[in-house]
Amino acid sequence: MCGIIGYVGYRDARPILLNSLKRLEYRGYDSFGIAIDNGHIAIFKDVGVVANSEGEIPLVKGKIGIGHTRWATHGVVNKINAHPHTDCHNRIAVVHNGVIENFQQLKESLLAEGHNFVSDTDTEVIPHLIEKYYTGDLEYAVGKALEYLTGTYAIIVMAKDCPYLIAARRGSPLIIGRDDKQNFIASDVTAVLDYTNRVIYIDDNEICRVSQEELKVCRNKKVIIKEESTIPWTVEETQKSGYAHFMLKEIHEQPKALENTFRGLISSIEPEINVISRQSKDSDILLLGCGTSYHAALVGEYLFNKLCHMVVRIKTSSEFNSCNMALNKTEVIGITQSGETADTLAALKKARNLGCRTIAITNVPESSVTRVAENVFYTRAGIEIGVAATKTFLAQLLSLYLLAVSYDSLDVRTRQDLINEMRMLPAKVQQVINSERAIASHAQSISNSDNVFFIARGINFAIALEGALKLKEISYIHAEAYSAGELKHGPLALIGPKTPVVAIVPQDDTYSMMLTSIKEIKARNAPILALADESDRTIGQFVDHTIYIPQIDTLFSPFLNTVALQLLAYYVAIERNCSIDRPVNLAKCVTVP
Amino acid sequence: MRKNSNNIGQAIILAAGEGQRLSPLTASCPKVMLPLGGKPILQHVIEALVQNGIRRLLIVVGYHREQIQDYFGSGNDFGAEIRYVIQERQLGTAHALKQAQDLAEERFIILSGDNIVSSEAIRDLLDMDELAVLGKKVIDKNMLGRGLVQIKEGKVHQITEDILPSTEGLINTGIYVMDREIFNYIGTELDLPRVITGMIEQGKIVSCRETTNRWFDVIHHPDLLSLNNIVLQDLTASLGGVIETCNAIKGKVSIGKGTTIRANCYIIGPVSIGDNCEIGPDVCILPSTSIGNNTVIAPFTILKNSLIFNNVNIGYNSTVEDSIISSGTIIRGHFTAYSGRTTRYIEGLGQKEIEMGAVIGNDCMIEDGINIRPGVSVGNCSSIKAVKIINENIPDGSIVI
Repeated sequence: MCGIIGYVGYRDARPILLNSLKRLEYRGYDSFGIAIDNGHIAIFKDVGVVANSEGEIPLVKGKIGIGHTRWATHGVVNKINAHPHTDCHNRIAVVHNGVIENFQQLKESLLAEGHNFVSDTDTEVIPHLIEKYYTGDLEYAVGKALEYLTGTYAIIVMAKDCPYLIAARRGSPLIIGRDDKQNFIASDVTAVLDYTNRVIYIDDNEICRVSQEELKVCRNKKVIIKEESTIPWTVEETQKSGYAHFMLKEIHEQPKALENTFRGLISSIEPEINVISRQSKDSDILLLGCGTSYHAALVGEYLFNKLCHMVVRIKTSSEFNSCNMALNKTEVIGITQSGETADTLAALKKARNLGCRTIAITNVPESSVTRVAENVFYTRAGIEIGVAATKTFLAQLLSLYLLAVSYDSLDVRTRQDLINEMRMLPAKVQQVINSERAIASHAQSISNSDNVFFIARGINFAIALEGALKLKEISYIHAEAYSAGELKHGPLALIGPKTPVVAIVPQDDTYSMMLTSIKEIKARNAPILALADESDRTIGQFVDHTIYIPQIDTLFSPFLNTVALQLLAYYVAIERNCSIDRPVNLAKCVTVP
Repeated sequence: MRKNSNNIGQAIILAAGEGQRLSPLTASCPKVMLPLGGKPILQHVIEALVQNGIRRLLIVVGYHREQIQDYFGSGNDFGAEIRYVIQERQLGTAHALKQAQDLAEERFIILSGDNIVSSEAIRDLLDMDELAVLGKKVIDKNMLGRGLVQIKEGKVHQITEDILPSTEGLINTGIYVMDREIFNYIGTELDLPRVITGMIEQGKIVSCRETTNRWFDVIHHPDLLSLNNIVLQDLTASLGGVIETCNAIKGKVSIGKGTTIRANCYIIGPVSIGDNCEIGPDVCILPSTSIGNNTVIAPFTILKNSLIFNNVNIGYNSTVEDSIISSGTIIRGHFTAYSGRTTRYIEGLGQKEIEMGAVIGNDCMIEDGINIRPGVSVGNCSSIKAVKIINENIPDGSIVI
């Protein structure tokens, strides 16, 4: 799980590589390194983020170079293990994102052949393997070396005095950014958007030779023609526009993300939504996702049950991969923000091999998942930089609602009511965001605790999980979510004056049971923060703090409660002075299984 | 695009204020973000600056600053580079300017983000080589809430705050060309006119330039409608989205992307309709109406000279005339807000006769069959149950049973 960048062109490579690495830091940021050819290959590496050691990086001149920002998988975080890695004679340098599975065997045989290894990484076998076949033709040598590698990779290779870079991909994302007299290679488009929006997406098993003027892509040793795309995103979307953190900016972008996601799909007159039609009437559904996407799937489960009366199953992608689930006429919906989540990609491949129809919900056009799944629904949330998913989660939820309404066999009237309610979501979410200050004022009731519990019932149980996850991710407070009904089956033992409880108490059929749970908790003197309907006049007497949520149909309450809990987690993290956009040990998109 | 002659590249835009006199519209939306002609007021200001080659913008934000930041972002979409400076408490214009001290360049232009100003008016001031203030002749007595620029021997003598209608001089537009030295004169002073008067008293020379080009302040509700009228005259016609057959669209009409105009609508420009809206079938939209994004206008409804913000839903068989409806409000069918003459108390001017329809705040829920009398405003987040005549103002958060 890392970000890679390569540059070849007419400008100095150093500032371009460093700038692009900063853009890629959401993929990993525990160490970084760059290599630039200025007659010999000059390498600089350091631990931490680029900005911290920028001043120490020598001003190397050179118009060709590669860079890497690392999220450690093999080997501890230190300068030696940071990329780029080189061969024995410092003639070849490689940056790599992915995992080489057979590196142990390769390393042993290369050691036996007299190669000299310095790091503990899996990556280092690559430059040594290339060295073995390099006699002046880098393209041939890389191709030869790749034949021996098993596992996943996106690599960029440079060699001393060689006027081009070689890049290759299998299982990890890779793009080429094109411009006049300069070309870029990167893990994703964010890294190059400052310079160009003309992009070519590289597919698995393709090898590219990239020089200042030319791009050659080969597959099975044959040259192929790749189509160029123009990216509609602007660099502006990667900037913070006056906010202290990307996360807060992205929380504020949610009304727009929702509006963009349903744009053109819903109508106040015609109660039809044509998203992806259902394959057959007796099919059932399996929802897959990881982390936040899994929580979206949980809401989806409730929704498909309630609206479509279908058999719905749900698994985290990784668990699905390690179990043998019986699938028969099952439609498998995989949810992944980045479209690159390794577990979800593998799960969808597996489902497809088993003959299931696959649907992907993703936010990134042209991402790997769009080639794995047969049908794709795009959440149009715009680029998300903050590691903690916010607007993409809401857009994922909305896409599940759109799917459910298009699948269901509800009467026209109910369907139209749901559609009208959906259209008002941006305004309602905006109302929650407008109460930001009130929500922030409750942060202190949680920020000094070591443990926090989240409880809810029904459709909002998934939101309790999501609220707990957000709090964990960015404020490092231990947070657990329980279905309120499960409290007395164990967790109640942990509840006391030092464990605040966040309770989601909407005005629906869970209300009276939620009140019972709240009273049980209150009897143990735990402070309670409730998320309650603004019309609720009684909740105040049972709880210590209340965040009031605008009135909305229960089915849509997850949207509003999510936004309130995102803001709560954000302001708790602010109180605790945490690094919000870059939580320790986490990365935005997890491309390792 | 032209470069201004004296090379000013930076503007400091004061946009931190609330705009209380426009309540309830400003309860969750700062005054600078109120939409006129399909764009926030501040966007009109920014576009006028960019047309003069002024692209580096420092916006002093405060009240609901997130809405300004969400909309303008880094400024890329507007051809500008925007940095935001925060004024935590809105103490006054000089205090606001002081917040921008660290990022201010050697010379800059200062403007309020909540006035409508044309690029020509800005150009008039940029032609001046020295420190200067832009003045405007009094044409409308409603503008008399502002200070006057008093001139002696061709230079500014003082800028007064409160004035009598008989006083000679030009209205202070609040647009100035200044240099960094102004920061030395602010001290603990909170208002800019006093700071500038102070500078003059200590020997600095400030000139005044009169403009005959467009500049307006937005003070009261009727101003919003009349200014919407004015800015809509500059509208560029463009028909985006899907327009079904049998529609009559005449005059300057702008329709945003993703919007659907269903059959049998009659739209007479100038009319601006945002993105992602659904209009009709059988809707009549008459001149000088602006409609925001994601808004639904149901069949058999007629809109005339009105301002409809984002995310509004207006039900079937409704009439909306000379009225303002704020974001997120849902109105069911058979709604009437008609125009008429009425007297209203206006701060600074006393009882005044105005002619307008209703003003409805954000996120209201108005059920079927509601009739609102001219000049009445409905507070934010209010709920009105079915079949009623609303005769008087309703405070925020009310439930009318």
